Amino acid sequence: MAALTPYTYIQCPCSDFSTLGRSSDPNLPAGTEADDDDDRTFDPRAPRANYTLYPLEYLLYCEDCHQIRCPRCIAEEIVTYYCPNCLFEVPSSNLKSEGNRCTRSCFQCPVCIGPLTVTSVETKPDPSLLAAPDNAATPHAGPYALICSYCAWSSAEVGIQFEKPNGIHAQLAKLRNGGSTRLTAKERKERRKDPSFRPQPATEGQGTPNEAEDLDLETQFANLKAFHQGQLANPNSADTGLSALGDLGFSSPTSLSRIMSIYTGGSLQDKKAKSRVGAMREALDANEGLQLAKLDESAAIEALRSEGHGSTASAAQLADQPPNLGEEHLHGRGRFTSELRPIPYLLRTKRSKRCPVCRHIISKPEAKVQTTRFRIRLVAGSYIPSIAIRPLSLSGGTGTGTGTSASGPAVPGALLEPLRPAHYLLTFKNPIFETIKVTLGAPAKTPGRLASKVTVLCPEFEIDANTDVWDEALNQGGGSERDKRRRRGEDGAAAAGGGGGAGSQSNINHQNQLEVGKIWERGRNWVSIVVEVVPASLRLEEGDPPLAEDEDVLEIPMFVRVEWEGEAGGDEVGSVATRDREAREKRELAYWCVLGLGRIRP
Amino acid sequence: MSSRRPPRGEYIETDTGNKVARKATLVGTQNIMLGGKTVIQPEAMIRGDLIRTIQAQPQSASGAAPNNTAVSIGRYCFLSRGCCLRPPGRLYKGAFTFMPLRMGDHVFVGAGSVVQAASVGSHVHIGARVSIGEFAIIKEYVRILDGTVVPPNMVIPSFSIVAGQPARLIGEVPEGGHEAFELRDLYKTVGNNPQPMPI
Amino acid sequence: MSSKRTPHPPSGPRPPVHLSSSLTISDTAQLTGTHTIEIRSESVIHPRARLESSVGRLAIGRRCVVHERATLGAAPVSSAGLGRVEGVEVAVTLADYVTVEVGAVVEAGETVVGEGTVVGVGARVGAGAVVGKHCTLTPYTEIAAGEVVPDFTVVYSNGLRRTDKRGVAELKNKGMVRQIDVLRRMIPSNPAKFA
Repeated sequence: MAALTPYTYIQCPCSDFSTLGRSSDPNLPAGTEADDDDDRTFDPRAPRANYTLYPLEYLLYCEDCHQIRCPRCIAEEIVTYYCPNCLFEVPSSNLKSEGNRCTRSCFQCPVCIGPLTVTSVETKPDPSLLAAPDNAATPHAGPYALICSYCAWSSAEVGIQFEKPNGIHAQLAKLRNGGSTRLTAKERKERRKDPSFRPQPATEGQGTPNEAEDLDLETQFANLKAFHQGQLANPNSADTGLSALGDLGFSSPTSLSRIMSIYTGGSLQDKKAKSRVGAMREALDANEGLQLAKLDESAAIEALRSEGHGSTASAAQLADQPPNLGEEHLHGRGRFTSELRPIPYLLRTKRSKRCPVCRHIISKPEAKVQTTRFRIRLVAGSYIPSIAIRPLSLSGGTGTGTGTSASGPAVPGALLEPLRPAHYLLTFKNPIFETIKVTLGAPAKTPGRLASKVTVLCPEFEIDANTDVWDEALNQGGGSERDKRRRRGEDGAAAAGGGGGAGSQSNINHQNQLEVGKIWERGRNWVSIVVEVVPASLRLEEGDPPLAEDEDVLEIPMFVRVEWEGEAGGDEVGSVATRDREAREKRELAYWCVLGLGRIRP
Repeated sequence: MSSRRPPRGEYIETDTGNKVARKATLVGTQNIMLGGKTVIQPEAMIRGDLIRTIQAQPQSASGAAPNNTAVSIGRYCFLSRGCCLRPPGRLYKGAFTFMPLRMGDHVFVGAGSVVQAASVGSHVHIGARVSIGEFAIIKEYVRILDGTVVPPNMVIPSFSIVAGQPARLIGEVPEGGHEAFELRDLYKTVGNNPQPMPI
Repeated sequence: MSSKRTPHPPSGPRPPVHLSSSLTISDTAQLTGTHTIEIRSESVIHPRARLESSVGRLAIGRRCVVHERATLGAAPVSSAGLGRVEGVEVAVTLADYVTVEVGAVVEAGETVVGEGTVVGVGARVGAGAVVGKHCTLTPYTEIAAGEVVPDFTVVYSNGLRRTDKRGVAELKNKGMVRQIDVLRRMIPSNPAKFA
């Protein structure tokens, strides 16, 4: 069984319906609404939970709403498009005309997706050269091919070779697999405009649809579009192609314009057409965009017979293929590796992120591709405490064990013994410059049919402010200062209300005693507390459904409430106006999180 | 493992704060540049002897000695047990030459990984048993998961998480994940006087 | 890889060697075992490469490159491989122009690697496997004991296979000559140490 390192996931409030409605109300401090949820335990195994839990690093924080924001609820805006291979920025205007792939010479291998490099193919390597290695300068002349340096695929395998080592994208657009040329998109467009030119070259047939081999995707679409627009303009044309369907309304111009308006945003909505009744016919030949499916598979079967299954492309390979503009339809085609084409790299983006509620930007990278700086980066980790989980071994370790039978698994990732108490150390680290008060709430039994018992030994405590890091850095080595700090923190905790963090001396640590209501250890801006769990037994009753995937993972839902006093920001839009503005303002943030401790031994 | 105090210094600590294990294998040390505060664990290996033999341009008028650096490493890098750094080599104008391997700051190289990249940016985490092919270019803030094979010549842009054989993009480093690349704390936990990991 | 280090003066008997005068062998290469190790002309053995001949003879062809930490003649790890080490004469045969990359392992037991084949970084060729000519084993590929890999096979992506149709075998061999040319200038060779 795969080892499992303990993890903490935090629930984004966006999934909570009770907060969704109200967090948009600027007069309510965030967090208070969560009080209503106290009696409702969050179930980490609920199907919905899959989409709401995130590691802390993935969460952002809106300073105006005072709320956590997750990748699912934020609104993204693209700042820059760039090619992940050549790292060149692509202006968004090019995107419209050229598509979302790199148009330089960046290609991926269609077989293994490794990067392809342009290499000159010496068609006939002269074996005599081997004997004369001094012949240094190898002739760097064409033809060239794209070669994968991982799986050794070569574009020459599918009959594609290039004359020049640069401008591969443009050269490739003119080449078919096998080496025959084809028209570029631009040439095709021009050809379509030319009324004297029949859309399909009359090489093989005389315009019968069966022979319309060369009707590529774009031309077909253009023909179809022209044909249907003609039909819309003139619905009473005499011949009806599929009149039998007329009764169902499939071929009425109204339904067509309705469907077109769905996709085109209403531009084709024809007011006149609505009033008219009449049937349209369907396209009849290639001129009108009709293309018959090719059902003759004998060539494919023959190829399969001679080449075997090794020559077929996998589903993943076909899925990675770019839409092959300018080629004919791939319906039922593209089965063989010989039909695969080099994949131009998909562009990547840099994106800024907005709060979904107040629309403020909460993350904004610098636009330049090569910089990694951010103009704005409000990450949840600098606002809410991080929670680290560590198994606590009471018997071993310090050696002064006082005979506690219970212990957590000594090795991180080891399996939890069912029905045997185990202890975990939760370390909360305060990132903000104020002292925070943390209140934890966890159900006595984990939700779900495998109910493990959970006891948070110290559910209420204070964590000192995250003072200047340099203070500590300067005092490093001087342990006394650190100790003083630590003790001072304990006094503070003892003074804290609710008797929550009643002073735990650090010597408790050495005595290995677990006391309810006491902090295990504290430091400059962190506090460790102990959670005791009694894992459930995985033994199932007769007739129960078998264990679901990961059902043996012990996950504890925990409600965290953080309170602190911040500077009352008068200029803040969403701040609370009712409290003493001149003084300090009480702030509160509450959220569910899930502690994944480990797997239970079956 | 770090709790055990070796009798004699397991590491050689240099003036610039590098901690080089006595059992690490550094070949051609004169061609290896360490930026300082870099940890090289036992059994790690660096091939400084594979120097460049062809200069791209003939040396300019300065007449200075050709730069023979084969491997340059920034600050706060961490080379785990059994990893290997070696300069990439290729045919250039019909002759074979090695090219230097440049590595930024805060680069973690996992146990048993082999790095033959042309450059590795700062804040990069390379997992265990990873192979980085020759002339790969890895930009800043990249995470390469365990067992990944980065093919030769691959470029991995910033904020990528890659995995697989061959490597493919499987995710992006989130905004909140930048600090996790810092290796200052890890640096303190090794050496002849290891400190516990600060909380 | 994290196995116990062999102490600096290699323990056990020094294997008899049959080294070509034109080869390049680093003095930190480790040659152990009892059977003959034969390395033919112009091959390069990088520092810290391990050649073990405790099972049988090692025969390394012309213009082979064995990179650092590669191991030839390692004891098999699989039970199928262990059955193949009994009474073999030649533990490992490398034909000409074979490259064994960093950390790759070729197990002992009549294992053959064909001409021009590249055994990638960290790859493992099982005991008794016969790898054909001009094959490419991508990094961390595993070839099971006793397997036969046809000529020009590329093994990639956790064991997928395809045929190399680039037709660059000659070119690759030529490249290796150039590479060896450079390596022999860089790696101080000390065949006398092993003789």
